[in-house]
Amino acid sequence: MDKYKDIHSSVSSKKENVNDLETLESFRQEFLGKKGSISLAMKELGKLDPDQRKKHAEELNIIKDSVLSFVKMKTEEINNEIVDKKIKTESLDVSLPVSSSSGTIHPITQVIDEVIAIFADLDFCVAEGPEIETDYNNFTALNTSEHHPARQMHDTFYVNSETDSMQNVMRTHTSPVQIRSMLSQEPPIRLIAPGKTFRCDNDQTHTPMFHQVEGLVIDKESNMGHLKGCLEIFLKTFFETDSLNMRFRPSHFPFTEPSAEVDIGYKKKGNQLIIGAGSDWLEILGCGMVHPNVLRNVNIDPDVYQGYAFGMGIERLAMLKYGISDLRTFFENDIDWNQHYGFSPLNMPTIFGDLS
Amino acid sequence: MKFTISWLKEYLDTQKSDQELIDSLTNIGLEVEDVINTSEIFSNFIVAQVVEEKKHPNADKLKVCKVDIGSDIVDVVCGAPNVEENMKVVYAPPGSIIPSTQMKLKASKIRGVESLGMMCSEFELGISDDHDGIIKLDNSVKVGQPYAEIAGLNDTMIEIGITPNRQDCLGVSGIARDLSAAGLGTLNKRNIKNNKGKLKSPIQIEIVDYHACSAFAGRYIKNVKNIESPDWLKNKLKSIGLRPISALVDITNFVMFDMNRPLHVYDADKIDERIIVRSSQKGESFRALDDKEYHLEDGMCVIADKSKVLGLGGIMGGDETGCTPSTVNVLLESALFDSVNTAKTGRQLSILSDARYRFERGVDPNSVETGIDLASQLIIEICGGELSETIIAGKIPIINKTISLSIDRLKKRLGIDINEKETQTILKNLGIKTTKKGNDLLCEIPSWRQDINEEADLSEEVIRIKGYEFLPTLDIRSPDKVNKLILNESQKRISRSKRLLASKSYNELITWSFSSSEDSSFYNNLENLKILNPISEELDVLRPSLVPNLISAVKKNLARDHSSFSFFEIGNQFLSSNPGDQICVACGIRAGIKQARDWRDQENLYDVYDVKRDMIDVINHILPQKNKLEVINEAPSWYHPGRSGTLMLNKSIKAGFFGELNPKIANFYKIKDRINLFEIFLDDIPFISKKSTNKPVFNQSNYQKVYRDFAFVIDSNIDGNDVVLSALKVDQNLIKSVDIFDIFTDPSLGKNKKSLAIKVTMQAQDRTLSENEIQDLCSKIISTIEKETSGTVRS
Repeated sequence: MDKYKDIHSSVSSKKENVNDLETLESFRQEFLGKKGSISLAMKELGKLDPDQRKKHAEELNIIKDSVLSFVKMKTEEINNEIVDKKIKTESLDVSLPVSSSSGTIHPITQVIDEVIAIFADLDFCVAEGPEIETDYNNFTALNTSEHHPARQMHDTFYVNSETDSMQNVMRTHTSPVQIRSMLSQEPPIRLIAPGKTFRCDNDQTHTPMFHQVEGLVIDKESNMGHLKGCLEIFLKTFFETDSLNMRFRPSHFPFTEPSAEVDIGYKKKGNQLIIGAGSDWLEILGCGMVHPNVLRNVNIDPDVYQGYAFGMGIERLAMLKYGISDLRTFFENDIDWNQHYGFSPLNMPTIFGDLS
Repeated sequence: MKFTISWLKEYLDTQKSDQELIDSLTNIGLEVEDVINTSEIFSNFIVAQVVEEKKHPNADKLKVCKVDIGSDIVDVVCGAPNVEENMKVVYAPPGSIIPSTQMKLKASKIRGVESLGMMCSEFELGISDDHDGIIKLDNSVKVGQPYAEIAGLNDTMIEIGITPNRQDCLGVSGIARDLSAAGLGTLNKRNIKNNKGKLKSPIQIEIVDYHACSAFAGRYIKNVKNIESPDWLKNKLKSIGLRPISALVDITNFVMFDMNRPLHVYDADKIDERIIVRSSQKGESFRALDDKEYHLEDGMCVIADKSKVLGLGGIMGGDETGCTPSTVNVLLESALFDSVNTAKTGRQLSILSDARYRFERGVDPNSVETGIDLASQLIIEICGGELSETIIAGKIPIINKTISLSIDRLKKRLGIDINEKETQTILKNLGIKTTKKGNDLLCEIPSWRQDINEEADLSEEVIRIKGYEFLPTLDIRSPDKVNKLILNESQKRISRSKRLLASKSYNELITWSFSSSEDSSFYNNLENLKILNPISEELDVLRPSLVPNLISAVKKNLARDHSSFSFFEIGNQFLSSNPGDQICVACGIRAGIKQARDWRDQENLYDVYDVKRDMIDVINHILPQKNKLEVINEAPSWYHPGRSGTLMLNKSIKAGFFGELNPKIANFYKIKDRINLFEIFLDDIPFISKKSTNKPVFNQSNYQKVYRDFAFVIDSNIDGNDVVLSALKVDQNLIKSVDIFDIFTDPSLGKNKKSLAIKVTMQAQDRTLSENEIQDLCSKIISTIEKETSGTVRS
């Protein structure tokens, strides 16, 4: 140890002078640089006999390690001081506002996606049809002949037809998709058909365009109890409630027999509608067993096949679920309304995640 | 259809409460829409008498009356022209709610004179439209007596919605029949005397058009007095909102609502010789009871005599042969008109009447004779006179409809357990006779149920009466999947595009599928897109494009002081009015402020490049593969010709247009902002052929990338993208990307010149590029671009 006493004491004293990265580097050079005292001493070791070499090397290495660990420790310390200093000088006013613009999905699209998610889980596919329909598909094939009184309940928009003696219509309901689908595929059939529908009506509670979703199930077994089961799962899932008062009430649609309207229970709590519970009834949809004449019109044998159909208004579902009070606002395209009632695009309804 | 509980109980023997009856009506498909307890509504209204009547000191048309209300004598200011001393009136004290206006009456000063309560007109009480004067009550009523009591309004009025199939319930008797079948009581029949007339009718009846009118029963009644109806009859009509007119008219109305049998009564002295039921001829006209002149087309069913049209069969009678107080001899009609013909005529002439409403739904043929018997019995009772025999022209059809019902199929359709006996009981109570044949029931359908035509219809009858609450709730999940796919490729792509655009700060709008022809004229020929019966001028064509509706949305929100617009809609636009002649378009609009001026940024407006980027993002999102997208400098007329393009996908597919809206169209809307838009033709974008779910092999070079910048002075009309393409093709393996990072013009560059700077990224897959290779590439890039653009490199 005596041999390296000078180096050792020099290390100790020079440590005191280190106060920044520059002096640290010259400190390192002084001992460990090419011409540093420890490096030079290391070279000298080769000239010694093995015994001495081992002993001296041990001593020298202790000093070398102490230098290395000092350099490492000091580098960290100085760097931290530098960063600390920098941090002190660069604070920002993080209270300043940032602008963020987010787009929205229209409630109609969102609710249709919710409906699709629920029915997809029940093995329904999504079918479509055109917004302009033949009179035949919209009415006649659905067991509504030209002079059927039910036609007068539809305020139909008419457009010219190039191919037909009857004028074409803007479809008054999504039910013609039933006809198109049954003509193009064999039973079993399980589908829903969401889409735009049109009636010549414009007031507080009617808009000339609105949306419906149609449901159709055709196979050999599906009966009115299945219809009830199907709608119960749908309504419970859609309104996200485990308890749902639901009432089937006899009604009439030319294309179903028996026909029913479905009411759900609700109560009012302040301005809020609570769906499911309560003793007041809200009409929510129409449904029934597909009329044998409709099956005959699409060449399906009603003695072999049967099934059910239902139809409901998307706007009504949206209004009830999301507390939107005025139907007409859906189509007024007021940015503020869309921002208020619209949905985040990343909020895709799913059964495994969140429906709403 | 309106009726009262007391009227119902003339047909239904029941111990059930009003509420039970009301609930059952809805449960059997006769949906209760309104229940009005008239005795409650009128509980405040009493009989009073005017004892003194003076002119109002400050108003010419008003009078100040002293009115005896039994407990007191009060002052009432009244404006009715018919008020007179000693008149008995209906008095509403302060605090009453006036039924027609729902206003609460308050004591007040009218033109300086205190007025306590009011004397009411029929209009104010909501019992008719008559507001010409206040109600004058019969002198026999007592002051202080409740008005509801003397008006027979001590009752509950029920209004039910009748679905188009249930023509049998358009009369009180039919409603009672349904309720009795549902177990709510026993059905009574009205006692109708078959009063054979002794006279021979002087008016013969001839049917020419048997198709439109299969039977016409007529009865001549001589020497009647068409007086005011007795109170029971007037009150009955008033209780369901009808205005009594005269005994003869009131009786026919009563029979119509009582047993769903429309009738008509003619002043026989005004009939020229005989009744002829025939088809109208174009050019004929007549004045109907609604005081309107109707011009007829060919083929409408008219009741005529030898010289003129008397009325429209099954729809409305004529003014000329209508009954008046001086009518002495009448002809009563009970006929059977064809439903289709009636509906057609009614629609063509836009006449709504209670008779049309019933005939177009189908009237029970067996009511022809019972209806005429009941009416003539009432006429004799009320108006006196002498009856003739009933003459029936044509033939009352005999309904002989038998349907076979299988209990097994019934159970299979409804999903309920029900036995033969219960089924038979339900049907029997509805008037359907059943007999067994093998395993099935043969069901004889009564004449009044024209809606029952097959087994499915009987299944509805059974479950309707048994109760829909007995339907089970069955699980529809099945182990065998019906559908392989939920959404098809087009549907998925629409959904993806919507959510992508919304994530890029667009608001999704849904606008009408129609548009105004004025706004739409910029986009296409509208000849084939006209709506024949538009709801308004603003919505008179099928939209030829989504653009005009979105521009309208911009305009509307501009008016609300918004300044930044990012809208999109994905929907159909129309090529013609034929089904399926529609294409699905994603249309986006960006206008106004992109970045508002704030503490950090300057104001920045949306431009064409924003919509170009969004459009490309949509295409790459819905077609996730390496797409070759190129812009060609052409776009339709609604775009700014110098600021628009067509995006070509993989050389040959027109994916869509983008650009700035033609300033001429913006001017038309008086919009100053530049509107940038894109239209993507989603139907034209091919579907990705997914052969494997595997992604392409990941291939990354570990060798260094080299970046070099170049600037060229080129003609200002040369497209930047051409420079990029020239650089790229110098070496497709080594040149990884070329990016334009600067463009500017300056007089020092020369006339019509611009400087364009690019950054080229080079990298080899298998080695580090040598300095020589890099130099070589750089020279080639310079020479190629100089050659192809006739430009020069800037040093």
